[in-house]
Amino acid sequence: MKAVRNIRLCTKDCLCLFVCPTGATNTDDGQIDASRCLDACRACVDACPSGAISKVPFNFPPQQPKEEAVCAALSTLLDAKARQEAAMDAVISAPASPVQAQLAQALKQSIRIVAEDMLRESGFMLPQGAPAKAFLRGLLQEDLGADFPRDAVEALLEALQ
Amino acid sequence: MRKYVCSVCGYDYDEKDGDKSQGIAPGTRFLDLPEDWVCPICGADKSMFELEGGDEPAPAFAQPAANESVKGKNQDMKQRAIMISNLAKAASKQHNAPMASLCARIGAYFEQRNEASGDMKTAHQLLNEDISTRYIAAFNAAREAGDRGALRALTWGEKVTKIQANIINRYQKDGDKAFENDKIFVCEACGFIFVGEEAPEICPVCKVPRFKFNQVKRGA
Repeated sequence: MKAVRNIRLCTKDCLCLFVCPTGATNTDDGQIDASRCLDACRACVDACPSGAISKVPFNFPPQQPKEEAVCAALSTLLDAKARQEAAMDAVISAPASPVQAQLAQALKQSIRIVAEDMLRESGFMLPQGAPAKAFLRGLLQEDLGADFPRDAVEALLEALQ
Repeated sequence: MRKYVCSVCGYDYDEKDGDKSQGIAPGTRFLDLPEDWVCPICGADKSMFELEGGDEPAPAFAQPAANESVKGKNQDMKQRAIMISNLAKAASKQHNAPMASLCARIGAYFEQRNEASGDMKTAHQLLNEDISTRYIAAFNAAREAGDRGALRALTWGEKVTKIQANIINRYQKDGDKAFENDKIFVCEACGFIFVGEEAPEICPVCKVPRFKFNQVKRGA
């Protein structure tokens, strides 16, 4: 497990600096140095008065199984959300007015968030999960052209092993 | 005196009390509220309210439309873009920056290849179909499977979808002037859209605090 800091919640009380036995919390980028963070230590988590630090595992447990009927129903929604977002893309590319462009931008963001939530509940909660890995391997089987970043997919799959 | 419930955030309009925040006197019937009256909590308009204790909407036919399985290449690219952006978010939440940046590179490929198609009207129609059929079918499947996670996502998603449809409806009816004096905020957790002066203290759909709202600026 490594300690991570939510910078939006951090109130700079610096208790984490006082209690860290390795100096992992004392960095210049606002984050905690995972390479120095001790697996079983949670001194900074307990000391932080704003609840801004948590411990995140390096390895995540397998995800909860999902029933096929649920995935199928969520996938029809995902399909509709994708088409709604494509419609907003069209509005954004040739808006009738600045207000319409702004609305389309907000709707696009909103539609994307809802669509991602559908995916999370159909087995794609984590990149580490089996469905996500199968999806990524599937991309490597396809002919997506020379500019498809195959190396990034391969590196991602490697990191997920 | 009756009560009407906002189907988005659950606010109760009690005719006995009226709505002081918008100058509505106690005893004002829901049907007599002005057409531009909106939910004081989430901004949903009158059409989003249901009579408390009224009939549940009849379970509409729950089969996906016949053309549902027809997927153009365009949608495939968009769906993959969404797939990757979801994985990227999960990687960021795990504070795994290298993984998030790999996802971002793959995502950029799909985002660029997606071809825009449709307009406000197309989107409005699809959103209304979501509400009248696809959410109902998905709720049934999730209940059948006892899938609490999916039920949670569907509850939020359906409310947000109603708000999205409502906003397009208002825009189709009144155009720019319905929005030009307001700011627009999107909840980054559930997608709830708030139109007004300041984002709500707590998201009426998913209950995250105000700092989780992003303002979408005009002309940005």
